[in-house]
Amino acid sequence: MFSNQKHVFWQALILTIFIFSVGVAIGFLIENSRLGKINELYVNSEVELLDVRIQSEMLNANLINCDLAIEKNIKFADKVYDEAKLLGRYEDAQRFSEALVLQHKKYDLLRTMVWVNSIKLKEKCSPNYHNIIYIYQYTDPSIKKIAEQETFSKFLEELKIKEQDRILLLPIAGDIGGISIEALKEQFNITVLPTVIIDEKTKITDFAGLKQIENLLK
Amino acid sequence: MYWLSIVILIYIFIALYFFFFFILIYLKNRESMYTCPKLTRNYKVSVVIPCYNEEDCICGTINAVLSSTYPIEKVFVVNDGSTDRTAEIVEKLARKNKKIILLNKKNGGKADSLNYALKFVKTELVAIVDSDSYPDKDALEKTIGFFDNPRVGVATCAVLARNKSKFMEKLQAVEYTVIAWTRKLLGYLNAIYVTPGPLAIYRTNVIKKLGFDTKNMTEDIEATWHLTSEGWRREMCLAARVTTITPSTFKGWYNQRVRWNMGGIQTINKYKHLFLKGGMLGCFILPYFVLSLIMGLVGLSIFFYLFFRRVIFSYISTKLSLGIGVPVITVDQLYMTPNVLNFLGLAMLILGTFFTILGLSVMEERELRNRNIFNLAFYLLIYLTIYPFIMPVAIYRLVKKDLRW
Repeated sequence: MFSNQKHVFWQALILTIFIFSVGVAIGFLIENSRLGKINELYVNSEVELLDVRIQSEMLNANLINCDLAIEKNIKFADKVYDEAKLLGRYEDAQRFSEALVLQHKKYDLLRTMVWVNSIKLKEKCSPNYHNIIYIYQYTDPSIKKIAEQETFSKFLEELKIKEQDRILLLPIAGDIGGISIEALKEQFNITVLPTVIIDEKTKITDFAGLKQIENLLK
Repeated sequence: MYWLSIVILIYIFIALYFFFFFILIYLKNRESMYTCPKLTRNYKVSVVIPCYNEEDCICGTINAVLSSTYPIEKVFVVNDGSTDRTAEIVEKLARKNKKIILLNKKNGGKADSLNYALKFVKTELVAIVDSDSYPDKDALEKTIGFFDNPRVGVATCAVLARNKSKFMEKLQAVEYTVIAWTRKLLGYLNAIYVTPGPLAIYRTNVIKKLGFDTKNMTEDIEATWHLTSEGWRREMCLAARVTTITPSTFKGWYNQRVRWNMGGIQTINKYKHLFLKGGMLGCFILPYFVLSLIMGLVGLSIFFYLFFRRVIFSYISTKLSLGIGVPVITVDQLYMTPNVLNFLGLAMLILGTFFTILGLSVMEERELRNRNIFNLAFYLLIYLTIYPFIMPVAIYRLVKKDLRW
């Protein structure tokens, strides 16, 4: 009787491998569906960025006015900011695939382009809003750094809710690679993360500075 | 992939394996779960009841043993230096019934009491009954038939909880029932790893030769492993039942489980030389115990790592948030995006619930109806989770050589 029973050892193993593989495959599917959603949002944002940049060109050609270009730029930045939060949530829930890291990098480059576009706009128009660029550590932050960055994020989000269209808020990972981001870091001499850059003039790297931010915006 | 995800996936794989392992054994044998071997001859049986300060329950245990439908030659009650009225109660009973023999000795522990009593046993079989346990009338009759197989060294029955009124008792009632079912399933593979103290019937000449290990905190596990290492089969009759008094308080439960863990580790240590060497002990029972030990300790380490990481993070984050005047928790932080491991964990919880309910159904459907959903949920989500926390305490006490019961 026992010789018949002992087959359960390998039968259970085969069944486990099968069901486990199905579970892992479903896991990949779920993560891929999230990646697909982010991809779709990114493509839409890429098209919108193109639109925003064309508007800037039109502004240069005096075909549209500053107010319209600024409004569109800020609205677009807000949309990309919301997408960044969604991407962040998906990344936190990511377990199998690393594909979202690449997506994050693409979004960072896109946000950098929005920033550059905003700088150009401010040169052309008399600005009635402030660029607030939040450059943070993405790769292997310590617990202390995560807590610090979370507090920075919460503070800036509160500020954005309060100031609405008076600020253009863009979070950008400072250590994810990319020549343009590295160049900007060098340009602004950013050696510490997180750093908040206000209107390409003021750098804030600590909480004391963060508390003074509202004075700087007046 | 994050290392923690890999560890969790390994846990899920192992849990899934044992789920299918037990389910397959059940499916193959569900028709014979309650089959009892027929008695083809009469075996003379003595009963040994070791006791220490059991004045509250010894009378009930002796009466339960004496009401057995299977004839019992002698009932040896070993008074292990009790300081209460245990000896007086047993003496009184012995005066009325000549089958009862009171053996008084200095306190030396349960294994020592059993070894002492074995010297007086002259019958072919000897049943060990804990002094707080109550075998059903037909428990011996249904179990003894296993000894027709000359390779059977010990046989046991389903050990169930007697008291089920308090919350801790209800949880243990679920646990004991599921354990009894899985023990029967392991019996089909000759993989029973313990013939528990509440009722275990031994072939006298075998147990006299091997003896009980007086240094082990769980002499029943050690004796079972000893028999296994000598090639003796262990059998279990699910239809035969013994009820035992379970701890009614968390402290009592905790102390009992620490002792069980200590005994388990002592036994692993004693038989480690057989690891992965031929036979069911070396190739299944020992690796199964070692795996449980490792999984418990690794799981606990991960829990503490994540817990303290979270505590440190929350402390820093709260301090910084309050310092700068932003909300400690925002709506965004409350929004949870479930990850794949959450889904797999949920799937495992569902399978675990199914396994427990199946076990309860197989054992006794009426009881299942009486146990409410809250108890079952608490058993699955909290009670089983507490288990690994006991292991480090057991290891610490063993290292400190603190072998108190």
